[in-house]
Amino acid sequence: MPPGFWRPRIINASGSFQKLKASRAFGISALVALTLLFWAVFRLLSPTNFGSSRQMTDYLQTSIQYAVGGCGLYFIVVMGLFDFSIGANIVLSALVGVLLSRHYGYWGLVLGCLLCGTLIGAFNGLLYSRLRIPSMIVTVGLMLVLESVANFVVRLDRAGFPGKLSSGGMLAFSRAPWNYIAAGAAFLLMFFLLRFTRIGTYCNAIGSDELVAKNMGVDVERYKLIGFVLLHFFVGVMALLTVSYGRGMLAVTGMSSMDRNFKPLMGTFFGVAFKKYGCPVSAIVIGEFIIIMIFNGLVALNVPTTINDFVTGAVLLTIVTLTNRGAKGSVVK
Amino acid sequence: MSDAVLRSERLCKRFGITTAVDDVSLEFEKGEIHGLIGENGSGKSTFCSTLCGIYPPSSGRFLLEGKELKARSQVEANRRGVSIIVQETGTLPGLTVAENLFLGEEDKFMHGIVKDAGAMDREAQRLLNEYGFTRIVASRMIDYYSFEDRKLIEIVKATYFNPKVLVVDETTTALSQSGREELFTVMDRARSLGNTVIFISHDLEEVIERADRISVLRDGRLVATVRSAEVGSGELKHLMVGRELGTHYYRTDYGEPVPDEVVLRVDDLSVPGQIQGLSFDLRKGEILGIGGLSECGMHEVGKAIFGASFGRSGRVTLEDGYGVDSIPGAIRHGVAYASKDRDNESVVIADSIRDNICLPSLDDLAAGPFLRSGKLDAFARRNAELMSVKMTGIDQYVSSLSGGNRQKVVLARWLGKDSDILVLDSPTRGIDVKVKADIYALMDELRRKGKSIVMISEELQELLGMSDRILIMKRGRISGEFARSRSLGERDLITKMV
Repeated sequence: MPPGFWRPRIINASGSFQKLKASRAFGISALVALTLLFWAVFRLLSPTNFGSSRQMTDYLQTSIQYAVGGCGLYFIVVMGLFDFSIGANIVLSALVGVLLSRHYGYWGLVLGCLLCGTLIGAFNGLLYSRLRIPSMIVTVGLMLVLESVANFVVRLDRAGFPGKLSSGGMLAFSRAPWNYIAAGAAFLLMFFLLRFTRIGTYCNAIGSDELVAKNMGVDVERYKLIGFVLLHFFVGVMALLTVSYGRGMLAVTGMSSMDRNFKPLMGTFFGVAFKKYGCPVSAIVIGEFIIIMIFNGLVALNVPTTINDFVTGAVLLTIVTLTNRGAKGSVVK
Repeated sequence: MSDAVLRSERLCKRFGITTAVDDVSLEFEKGEIHGLIGENGSGKSTFCSTLCGIYPPSSGRFLLEGKELKARSQVEANRRGVSIIVQETGTLPGLTVAENLFLGEEDKFMHGIVKDAGAMDREAQRLLNEYGFTRIVASRMIDYYSFEDRKLIEIVKATYFNPKVLVVDETTTALSQSGREELFTVMDRARSLGNTVIFISHDLEEVIERADRISVLRDGRLVATVRSAEVGSGELKHLMVGRELGTHYYRTDYGEPVPDEVVLRVDDLSVPGQIQGLSFDLRKGEILGIGGLSECGMHEVGKAIFGASFGRSGRVTLEDGYGVDSIPGAIRHGVAYASKDRDNESVVIADSIRDNICLPSLDDLAAGPFLRSGKLDAFARRNAELMSVKMTGIDQYVSSLSGGNRQKVVLARWLGKDSDILVLDSPTRGIDVKVKADIYALMDELRRKGKSIVMISEELQELLGMSDRILIMKRGRISGEFARSRSLGERDLITKMV
């Protein structure tokens, strides 16, 4: 028998390497290493068009918008649910924020985005729990409803350019430091909720085994509702950043808002994949940054959009597979 | 009885038309270990689940220290001083060890809505250290720990708050010998502190050795409560089953010749990290026992023969020359497999008995692309009745059956498929003596009909009693081979296992 052949398939968590592999430091180091790797590769391939400090700052400012949405999505994805209406909520909340900003300035913009987002979350959650049908179906229906409402709201805006933020006055959240402050506050809130309240524990417990969680006294319906509310609160913050960064928002129809779901979701995948290292928030933020960096790196290389999407998707799949792949034979749903 | 800490009064629990617990009035004394035994489906686990708030009673009640106990969840039962360690794992992946330990009990670490996660980790670590499980780190995700370690964490979770009543429900089958000893230490400590332990196990010797008194349930009704010092396992079996089982539920024949015809040949079979270089033959009408310590690799052998192992090398060849390399191929060529992990790998829990039995035979039962439900019903009913599955009907969900009856469904499925080679991994794990006897009788009958069986088992008596030949494994290899013989004893097998 070759030396070292025998190893029982149970995990020996007491081994020092296993201890290291299970640590938060390992997870964050892996993310930082990936960031450096992709930066180095694109910098090498396109030294003039990619990777300067100014460009990296731009990538960061774009990625934090998606990362905020990714943080919100984490609460429900980890429970095994999904929400297709977040893109439509971003559009509607942003338009409500713009409309209110006409009368109440920044207060109107900020509160309009956050309150509208949160209320839609509460509505989604209540509808899901009352109708008792899968979250995907409920939220696809709601997406269509919200897109229609957004078109109605934009007609209420009597400004010269409906949905456009007035130039100069209302653009603080489009640039530093206020965009960092808003996003940073959202990340801190996410970390706080996961680590220092019951919400993080209960969302994970419900996702692991709803029945056992129920038997442990967890009010499953209540925490699912809380999950939806939190998701859409974060979507409200994302709407604020997005409408500021884009200097306005266009109302869309025909499920076009779905397009806005996927970039935050990519960050959420990173969060779920790195959950086992105890660093989901860092993973969402850094993961989103990696995705944006790859996207811009490919643009710098003049890669067509279709190829760009292909490469970005493939990289995401590779990273998540390498970090979160189940053992051979394990059941993956 | 004046010293009763817990009392059930005319307790009934019904699921539809099935009465799982029927008018049970029972007293548990302070500071005793009280064994609760009975066949599969006799109502033991339902009785305890009702006590712990997992099910509400249909009628009757529990009195804890004279006051009615009406828990609506396990946490509520815990708060009243009743806790349970369940048969399968009760911890949740995706949470840390500390979060698992205090799930539903976070209040003591809350300051308003803010949870003191550091204090929770420290308290969890203190408890783990106190129990002697210093290798387990409270702040680490539970996913990194083995099944056995998770079981130990569950033991801490169920006992750290010094419950007045601790229910240990078939936990020992999931533990190694050292894990069992740790559990018994916890049970003894609970008794010495004046608390009560309700101990459910199918290992009658273990119950007699550990318990002060034993209550026997049969078909949901209380049959008797006896002092363990005054009974033997024979009397308990009689009480459980309601008739003499006799001492010979194993085969009694010795020296019967096994035909030379080889129906399955294993050549140099290896699975990385599990088994290496196994070669053996299985003959027609033979029961080939495979035994060893739990982690010796024997459970992987069953999977490898059935084409269910990953990274397998070597050959598994059937009589007709077919080389088994996939599960569908194995089934098509008459190989059947019943896993040790019955609930996760053998039965579809959230499906009916009918669908479970018909599943591998759908191609045989179909008329072209169409299935006729009448034909499926008749097929399922015939095989379920052949195995005497205790059920309300074939539409009953497998999740509502006891462990023994689930195993009967698995066997009914393969009987229906008329498989020639059965690979049975731990066929009587967690199963009561009556069903055990039924399964042994079935195996013997199949053997006589020329079917061949590979029986993988951790129970030495079972190997000795049922096998024509026994292979013992150690660290992934065959370390010994024994032919059926009256003179063969456990000691002979153990010398090759360790």
